[in-house]
Amino acid sequence: MKIFSARHEYNYSWEEVSTNNWRKYCPWNDKAEHVIGVDVLSRSLDKSTGILRTERLITCKQALPSWLKSFFGSNDTSLVYEVSYVNPREKSVTMCSQNLTWSELLSVQETVRYTAGNSPGKTNFDQTAKIIALCGGWQKIKNSIEEATVDRFSKNAAKGREGFERVLAISREAFAEQCRQQKLVA
Amino acid sequence: MSASFAPECNEVKERYDTCFLKWYSEKFIRGTAKEDECEPLFQKYKTCLTKALKDKGIESMIEEARADNKENDVEFMKPSSGAKCKYNSQEDPRSQLISV
Repeated sequence: MKIFSARHEYNYSWEEVSTNNWRKYCPWNDKAEHVIGVDVLSRSLDKSTGILRTERLITCKQALPSWLKSFFGSNDTSLVYEVSYVNPREKSVTMCSQNLTWSELLSVQETVRYTAGNSPGKTNFDQTAKIIALCGGWQKIKNSIEEATVDRFSKNAAKGREGFERVLAISREAFAEQCRQQKLVA
Repeated sequence: MSASFAPECNEVKERYDTCFLKWYSEKFIRGTAKEDECEPLFQKYKTCLTKALKDKGIESMIEEARADNKENDVEFMKPSSGAKCKYNSQEDPRSQLISV
């Protein structure tokens, strides 16, 4: 088992971050070409707590290192199941994700949390992933598979942050522009 | 917004996503949402998606993952929650712990 973890503080309010989180993989993000589809499987609002629960299916397409193909096959499309919980009273977004593809060989379990920062206009990001190779056999092979997965995971995480920063910046600019237009009309 | 894994669902998905994002940013986040106003559009999108998931044989994988996520539903649907997602299955006691 390997653990990957990352932390970051965004210079945007929790409201902006949690809204834009839904379009993290839109064309504004030029760093997430490996995400080719994001589908909503279900969505429900709990009226007593105000919590919004969303199930999504994330479709990724990314070439595998050639030595890994002997374990995983040549299919380079993978699916991720994600359930997120937005608590607007607590100002938190929690996203729990697991891999659907290759799940008999590898388990990748990820937690992402966005919580309001200590000062206004800031949002904390916490990410943890637990990576476990499940195939029987030599520990050495399992280790290599886990290491390759962590490596890929951390590269995607870094790109993900960069891409999301861009989405946040463009969104803020678009919103400001919209306000200017409305003032001109009024 | 992002594309659907099933291209035939893209159009209805886009209409739904646009509705949702407006509702989320203008009502939900401000605490004034009484109900999910985009539900009717979601049902249309879901009809398309469910068919595609069936055709590609992905449904059973999703069902398994959903069952595995039950503990997280209990934890994170509470008014105040913990900080980490948990799953029952797939723990290997022999595994070693290395932090990156």
